[in-house]
Amino acid sequence: MIRYSFITILLLLASFVIQEFLPAFTQLHQSRILLVQLVFLCSAITVEQPTMLLLAFIGGFFWDAHSALGPHGGNPEIYTQQVESMGFGYSIILFGAMGFLMQGIQPLFKQGKWRVSALLSGISIFLYLAAEYITITFIRGDFTLTRATVLQMASTSLLTMLFSPLIFWLLSRIAKGCGHSIHPQAGRNRRRTH
Amino acid sequence: MKPLNLIALLFFLGGSVWAFTRSDRAVREVQDGYFAAMSPFLRSGSKLESKAHAFRQETRHSKELEVELTAVRSSLGRLAMIESRFRELEHENERLRHALDYKKATHFNVVAAQVIRRQPTTWWQTVDIDAGEESGIGTQLAVLSNEGLVGKIDRIYKEQNRSSVLLLTDEKCQVSAKVEGSPEVGILSGQRGRFDGNPLLRLRFLSTDAALHQGQKVFTTGRGGIFQPNILLGTIDSVEKGALDSEALVRPAVNFADPGTVFVVLSADP
Repeated sequence: MIRYSFITILLLLASFVIQEFLPAFTQLHQSRILLVQLVFLCSAITVEQPTMLLLAFIGGFFWDAHSALGPHGGNPEIYTQQVESMGFGYSIILFGAMGFLMQGIQPLFKQGKWRVSALLSGISIFLYLAAEYITITFIRGDFTLTRATVLQMASTSLLTMLFSPLIFWLLSRIAKGCGHSIHPQAGRNRRRTH
Repeated sequence: MKPLNLIALLFFLGGSVWAFTRSDRAVREVQDGYFAAMSPFLRSGSKLESKAHAFRQETRHSKELEVELTAVRSSLGRLAMIESRFRELEHENERLRHALDYKKATHFNVVAAQVIRRQPTTWWQTVDIDAGEESGIGTQLAVLSNEGLVGKIDRIYKEQNRSSVLLLTDEKCQVSAKVEGSPEVGILSGQRGRFDGNPLLRLRFLSTDAALHQGQKVFTTGRGGIFQPNILLGTIDSVEKGALDSEALVRPAVNFADPGTVFVVLSADP
């Protein structure tokens, strides 16, 4: 279990490197594959709560390092109403919340019903993006929700969700390599039927 | 709740609070560390991309290249003629300006760069360009194209000769702007949730009786300490009058779907 947890952390860090090379699909409502979030969500359901929280901290911390904007700059006497962006660290909380959501269906996943988890990973990504957008709106005021924004969130979630079976397969291979099972009850049920 | 889970949750919350309370400088240091760790991967990736691009170029049909070469040769001859005429006119213009004691136009000391990556983050309108610290670029410098203002430098990637540009279409990129042929000045910025090719910009804090019409040009005022004056921003598209102030929607001068080569202004003549 410790070896498996350690490898999931490495996998999460590796996903940051790959994320740097994943472009935004401008023709598909500016959507993108959020690989970091996907690896975190899929890993979160396969580990215990302390490991999930550690993954959430690492994921959120580096995600903010990847995407935080710099200070406004310029003369504050001219730019009296400066536009703020989300503070550093907000992603840690969002990752944690997504992780708890995924862990809610851990019993189903342990029975081998990974399809529900794959679907939930898409829903979690949508909620994650919606939470980010609401946070931006809360900080900046003036609520505007355009069709383009909703389409961007929906297509990003859908596109990311399509890759979740691949991540679950990878995690099950890693777990097997570590002598650990991510679907322990499914294995027991199979043995009983034999 | 299991005691171990509770302890983990407390550590998690403590870590989150610690991250929330980092200063801007500390955040920049974290970001520098993050991108320094990424730089070997990014460099290898960009080398691979260059090799793939070179390979694609090589495999282009030779006849196609021949036709292109002929066309380029004829263009070159025509451009040489135009250039000699241009030099003549420039010389004449200089002479006439001198005779009239005309105020010298602003000259920019710029670094040319290419956009190498578009929109690396979900919500912010940014692009990465292939020029950074090694080219003398720092943060908060204006970025132009031959059409007008593109944005400003938001971040420098240490040891990578790469930087991130916050585009004018982002809500956070605010520019002090004036409207040609009117006393109106305001703050121009992008609009939230507008991602399509060339989204309109918002010019806010105009006077309630702002007499503006479609097609009027909008320029930088030069106030605010970041952007030099008289850089073209766009043209007025429509005006909405409010009780306290007016707002105008501005069509950007730059084609943000394909900005091509951009220029980072290192310094400008006063």
